[in-house]
Formats: sequence, structure tokens, C-alpha cells
Amino acid sequence: MGYTLDFSVVWHAVPALLWGCVGTLGLALAGMTLAMVIGVAGVAARDSKAAWLRAIVIGFVEIVRNTPFLVQIFFLFFALPLIGLKLNPTATAIIALGVNGGAYAIEIIRGGVQSIHKGQVEAGYALGLHKGQVFRFIVLKPALRAIYPSLTGQFIMLTLTSSICSAVSAYELTSVAQRIESDTFRSFEVYFSVTFLYLAISWLLMLGFAVISHRFFSYPTR
Amino acid sequence: MTPHFGLPEFGFLLRGLQWTVLLTLVAFAGGCTAGLAVALLRTCGHKGVEWITRIYIGIFQGTPLLLQLFVVYYGLALTGLKLDAFVAVAIGFTVNASAFLGEIWRGAIQAVPRGQTEAAMALGLHYSSRMRDIVLPQAIRISLPATIGYLVQLIKGTSLAAIVGFIELARAGQIVSNQTFQPLLVFGVVGAMYFILCWPLSWWGSRMEARLALASQR
Amino acid sequence: MLFSSNRRQLGIALLALAAIAIAGKSQAGTLEDVKKKGVVVVGIQGDNPPWGYVDSSGKQDGIDADMGRAFAEYLGVKAEFVPLAVANRIPALTTGRVDILFATMAMLPERAKAVQYSKPYVANEITLVAAQATPINSNADMGKYVIGVPRSSTQDTQVTNSAPAGTEIRRFDDDAATIQALLSGQVQAVGANSFYPQRLNAAKRELGFRAQASLYCSLQRGLHAPWRQGVERDGQQIHRRDQVEWQAGRILRQMDEGARADLPRLGPRRSIHRPVATARGRRIIRVGRRPQRSRIHAGPDPDRNEGRAEVVRRVPGTSRC
Repeated sequence: MGYTLDFSVVWHAVPALLWGCVGTLGLALAGMTLAMVIGVAGVAARDSKAAWLRAIVIGFVEIVRNTPFLVQIFFLFFALPLIGLKLNPTATAIIALGVNGGAYAIEIIRGGVQSIHKGQVEAGYALGLHKGQVFRFIVLKPALRAIYPSLTGQFIMLTLTSSICSAVSAYELTSVAQRIESDTFRSFEVYFSVTFLYLAISWLLMLGFAVISHRFFSYPTR
Repeated sequence: MTPHFGLPEFGFLLRGLQWTVLLTLVAFAGGCTAGLAVALLRTCGHKGVEWITRIYIGIFQGTPLLLQLFVVYYGLALTGLKLDAFVAVAIGFTVNASAFLGEIWRGAIQAVPRGQTEAAMALGLHYSSRMRDIVLPQAIRISLPATIGYLVQLIKGTSLAAIVGFIELARAGQIVSNQTFQPLLVFGVVGAMYFILCWPLSWWGSRMEARLALASQR
Repeated sequence: MLFSSNRRQLGIALLALAAIAIAGKSQAGTLEDVKKKGVVVVGIQGDNPPWGYVDSSGKQDGIDADMGRAFAEYLGVKAEFVPLAVANRIPALTTGRVDILFATMAMLPERAKAVQYSKPYVANEITLVAAQATPINSNADMGKYVIGVPRSSTQDTQVTNSAPAGTEIRRFDDDAATIQALLSGQVQAVGANSFYPQRLNAAKRELGFRAQASLYCSLQRGLHAPWRQGVERDGQQIHRRDQVEWQAGRILRQMDEGARADLPRLGPRRSIHRPVATARGRRIIRVGRRPQRSRIHAGPDPDRNEGRAEVVRRVPGTSRC
């Protein structure tokens, strides 16, 4: 006698699961926004003249990239309150995602900035463009174009990583799934279905990013 | 009553670290084998097979590792195979690794200049010899930084086995932190252990990448 | 040979291999299988002392571990422990990952639909624990605080059922994280078992953690899945009353005095599903939607007789179930 699969429990929970998707996307979006801020600030600090500032950024990037997200979020949630920094689960999740994504964003953005040759900027000035124009057309747009695939990939990664935030009781898709599981004990059915929800999210995001890329970045480079 | 964070607790974390390393090695070895198969299937030239492997890779890259572990962990039990937690978790990571490594090596195989394959064909070499002697050795070299990068991801990923209850480093840290009530110290030590494990690999990988970039410039 | 000379053949061969690897033989886990294997796989908690925990040397220990070993001894097989997260306990059982659970499990109506229970072997009191400065005297008081519980534990069910609507309940993966959350101040109260106050006070005595209110008396049982062929009959046999009582009695006698004092005393022939009045004179919280007797007894529980209380009653306890 075997185990009979019963997906009706998932069907009944569809509205809750969809709200969970909203929660996941919210966390990912907020986390990515923070990651971008950290990324831009980090790149500026990374190439600053102060050696200690550079060291901090390098240390930050290495530490974040070489430790697991689970340990990072545990540290933020359980350990930081002991030194007086108490954040609720959602804030913890957003900061953990932002810090994690930020470390990768620093490297990505830095690569993008370095891809702009100094000669191009000089050429821009030579053509009579003023500072704002040079920044917009010669630095920003090509740099964005160069880092766009990596950054959007990072965003999708962050969306998937947000599933770990359920460990600190943040509200997102996986925690909703765990609630349903604990009510029905139908782990396989629930997690199987939720995995496909994540797949749908990441494929939709990929599609969306491809459309944006097509709209804004599809001009010939040379 | 409450033990402080001392040698026995540190020993417990080290044992957790041992499981983390073992889990990583098993998953990486399994992932390399299966990943090679995935990469070869992905580039085999048969449209249907290529599509299937492409979807396979897409599924694993498009879903959270945590959920993959849940599904494999409970799904395997449903097949009637009685596997202990380590084997179940190791299979989960292996499957995930096969998809990621498969995709990395697919890229590397395709990055080997087409002329190499054509020359080998002109020499009358069979598929097996062409792959083994000409394409794969070059592809492995190209893919090494990315492969090491994934290995670091894998080490960090094994921490998720904690959530299904397997006692590896992250879980051991949770247990010790709960026994000693010194989360700041314990998670700090756990983080440091992961760092010591991952950082040399990361460093090696980026050095390799720089060297390859230099070589391709020449 | 690793590479077939024809790459298409190679592709098909590998896919076939994968298919073979995936298709396993379905196998029902019965008592006979357990005896044949020589090992009973016991699902247990890894971080919930003194119920079930892994000690610093990596050995599985605790009351539940003792039960598991005694049970294995009774069957004449070896016990193998699988530490599980709270929410994974019943799924691990229903999917056949473990043969039996000794994992701080109480009987609840929802669970009774999915699994079968042994006779209870020890009582455990579900309370609301908070620092002295955080009094909880009524259900309405619960709404004022953020309450932490281990996800899908008895505490989760009881707190969720008893708290007024809109109460912020945070669910964690296990007891360890829940206790840690209270200590970190991430939550102000937790749904607790009998041993939480002792563990919390060991960490921060100055806050004076105590059980503020009693929610439920949970009689802990071993669990096994009902639909696996043969288990139902075996279940009645292996959880024979005298066996369970003998084991539980022996294990409790071996427990150290301090820990034993924290356990509630099991009254004779009391309904196990009623909210508990305690000898410590705590306020009683009426459980809002408490598990219904009829539903529980309609379930597959083979054991409705609570006369087995004698053994545990001998334990010098401070609260009664």
C-alpha cells in the first residue's frame, strides 16, 4: 500500500499562495532596491582614496559572498538584538537580502563602470556634450546595458533566496507553504506545487526583463 | 546548568563542519558525474533531448534550492526507498549540482572554437574520442573559475539542509547557540568557519579567472 | 565505455538510466520489515532538551531518545534516530522516512486524521511563557504581545486557537529558534512546553521567565502512520499498555529531580483534552476552539482509556494534567 497523492489541499489554498507570491516579490523588490543603493555606494567607496574605506568594502564583499545566507539572516535576527538593534522579521529579511545582494551588486556595477573607457568620455567632451549629457549617454546607458543581464539575474536569485527568510518568520511564499503543510501534512504536494509557483515567478521575471532589454538596450554597439 | 561556549561546543561545531564538507564532497562528486551527462546531452545535437535537458536546467535554476530540497526529501520517501537523511539530502544537492554544472559546462563546451571539432572530425575521430581528447580538456579549463564559483555556492547551500533537520554546520550552530545562549559568538564562529572553507576557493577561482582573461587577451 | 560512438544513442541511454534510478520499488514499512531490517528508524527532535536533543558529543539524548531506545529494545532491534524539524515530524512519518515518532507529539484532531497514536507515555503542559514584566491574564492579553511558536507544534495550534483575532504570531522552524527569539526580544511571549522556563531562566535569570498561563495538557505519544499495511494491528500490539507504562515509568525514574519537577502530574482518568488548571494557581485560559472530543475519538486512536495514568502520577510534579 502506498501513499496517495492529494493535490486538493493545494487547490484550496490558492488565494493564500498567491498572496505569498506577492509577499515574496515585495521582499525581493525591497531587497533589490537596498542592494542597488549598497552597490552604488560600495563602488564609490571601493575606488575611494581612503585605504580604510576600500578595505571595509573589500572585507564586506568577501565576508558576505563567502558565508551562507541562512547564517547571515540568523545573525541579523537573533544576535543583533543583543547589541540593541532589533528589527522585525520583514525588516530583517529585507536588510539580509539587501546586504547579500549588495555585495554581489558591488562587483557587478564595478565591472560595468570599468567597461567604460576613459577615451569615450573624452570623446564625448570633444563632441561638445556637457557633463550631464556625457554622464547620461556615455557613462550611464552603456554601463547599465553592460550590467543589465547580471543585475536582472541577481534579482531573480534574490527572489529565490527570499524563500530562506521563512526561517525568521517573515511573510512570503515559503512560509505560507509551511503553514499549509502544517495544517494538512501534505508536504510533498504543497512543496511540489510551490516549487512550480517559484518557477512561474522566475520565468515571468525573465520574460519581463527580456522585454525591457529589447525596448531600451537594443541598439547596435558598434 | 548552562554550558558556556567552550571546547566541547567547539568540537560539536567541528563535527557539524565535517558533515558540511562531506555533504559538499558527495554532492560535488555526484554533481560532476551527472552534470557531465547533462552537459553532453545538452550539446548532443538531438533537438528533443536538448530541449528536455534545457527544461531540466531551467527548472533547477528557476526554483529555490530550499524548495528543491523539500521536494526531493519528501518525494524520495514516497517512492518507497528508505533513505536516511544524509543520503536524501545528498541526492537533493547532487541533482541541483548536476543542473548548474551541466549549464556551466554546456557553455564551456560551446566556447571551444568550432574549428577544433571540425578538425577532429576531419581526422576521422569518433564522438567519444573527439570529446575526450579534444573538446573536454579545453572546456574544463575554460569552465574552471565558474565551476569553483559553483562549489562555493554549494558549500553555502548545504546550510539549507539544516531546515530539513540534518545536523550540519548551520544546524549545529543553532543547537549550540540554543544551549549556550550566546548567539552573537556562536553565529560568528559558524560564519567564520564557512568563510575559512569558502574564501580560499573564491580566491583561487578569481585568480584563475584573471589568468584565463589574460590568456585570452594575448 | 563512457561515451557511446553515437551521441544520440548516448542521450537515450542516459535518459533511460535516469528513469531507472528514479523508479524505486514501493515498499510498505511494517513491524515485520522493521524486525527484518534490525533497525527501527525513530523520528525525534534534535534541539529540544530534555525531550529530544543532540548533546555536545553528537549523541541523541533526552526522554524521547530513551523511549526510542526502550522501544527498540522491546522489539529486539537497534534504534536509529533521525532528528527532525518540528514541522517535518508528521510528514517524515507519513512519507515513510521514519518508522515511528517519539518527538514531543500530542494528540490533536488534525493530526489524528493523518496518523495513529500510541498510548501516552508522559504528560507535557503547554503554557504561555513570558518575562515577569509581561503578565498574561486573559486571552485578550495575548493580543497585546507578539507571540512566538515553533511552526506546526502543539503550541502553534493552541496559541493560534486561543489568541484573539489579529494577534501577531510568529512561527519559527523549531523550539530552539523560538526560545532564541524570546531571549533576543523578537517576541514577548512564547507558546511553551514544561521545560521552557527552566531553559529561559538559565540564560537570563534576571528577566524571571515563567509560565504565565496554561493552555493545554498534552499527553505525549509515539506516532505511526495508519495506512501502512499491518501497522494498525501491530500498533495495538507494540504499544500495549503495560509496555508503554513500564518504559515511561522506568525512564521517568531515571530522570534527574530538577527536570522531573517541571513535568505536570497526570491525574487519574481525566479527560486529556481539557484545558488545564494548575497547582501553581495560575489563571486559566479558556481555550477558544479546543479540540473536540468526539472528533478525536472518532479518529484512529486505538486507546481511549486513560487509566494508564498510574505510572506517571507517581512522579512528584507541580501541575496536574
